[in-house]
Amino acid sequence: MDKIRRRDRLGMIFDILDIIRHHHNSIKPTPLLRHSNLSSQSFSEYFNELLEKGFIKEITDENGRKFITLTDKGFKYLEKYKLISGFIEEFEL
Amino acid sequence: MPPFHLIDPTKLAAELGYTLIVVFLCFMIYFKTREIYDLSKHEGINYFRITFLFFALAYIFRFLHILSMLVELTLDADSFREISGIFPFPLVFNGYFSTLAILSLTYSIIWKKLQIKHTLLLFNAIAILISGIAFISRSPFILILAQALLLIFTIILTCYFYMKSRKFSQLFILYVLFLLFWVVNQFALGPRFIPFEIQTAFQIISIAVIGIIYYKVAKWTK
Repeated sequence: MDKIRRRDRLGMIFDILDIIRHHHNSIKPTPLLRHSNLSSQSFSEYFNELLEKGFIKEITDENGRKFITLTDKGFKYLEKYKLISGFIEEFEL
Repeated sequence: MPPFHLIDPTKLAAELGYTLIVVFLCFMIYFKTREIYDLSKHEGINYFRITFLFFALAYIFRFLHILSMLVELTLDADSFREISGIFPFPLVFNGYFSTLAILSLTYSIIWKKLQIKHTLLLFNAIAILISGIAFISRSPFILILAQALLLIFTIILTCYFYMKSRKFSQLFILYVLFLLFWVVNQFALGPRFIPFEIQTAFQIISIAVIGIIYYKVAKWTK
């Protein structure tokens, strides 16, 4: 589950979000990078994109440790991903 | 030359019914794909959905153009004739939106192979050029001719890129039919090049084509 299966942009986004979900919706940035199997530069680009689009958010606990969690929009993306990729395939987009 | 055959109320009602069905289906496709576009920001989905927005607007202006010609024909409305003579806006907007629709649908299929910068700007320039031709000539026939040439060019372009990686699919044929029927239906704007019964048959088939596209969209946008 932790490995990136597809190399297209939408698939990568799905995989990163799925990793967070499978870690009980709370994971530190470093393990997320490791599980995502991406280079730090690629990961950083995707990570910033996901933050900007509001799919994920950073939470800092009382000890100052950062955790990444999914937002409602992130859960929605996971829920709709099969439909989105099915649509793209159906219409050859 | 005005569409004298549409003075018949039954034929005009058929034209209105056809326009309403197509516009409804086009808007439904546009709105049903909003969520998957908002989530994915996929360029192909974007061009696919705006195609149907542009087509809906083009069909509305196509019908308005028919109405404006009928007003000129049936009423002694000199002021209306003067206004439409100065700026035939339904014909111009019909040409503008339908050109954008043809280009958007083509680009939605080949965007991965043909990355163009400032796509919408380029499409708008082509659409303004074609609607400008319609404006200067005030002739639906010139518009049909310009769009038919554009259609042939886009089909050749798509075939070139499409055939490199894929076989012709059912969807590709649907797209070609959909665009072809648009051009055929534009003939309603001119004199009776096509008998009304045959044109109605084309319209029924084109509703079926867009109905199939809508069904496919609805399947993935529950």
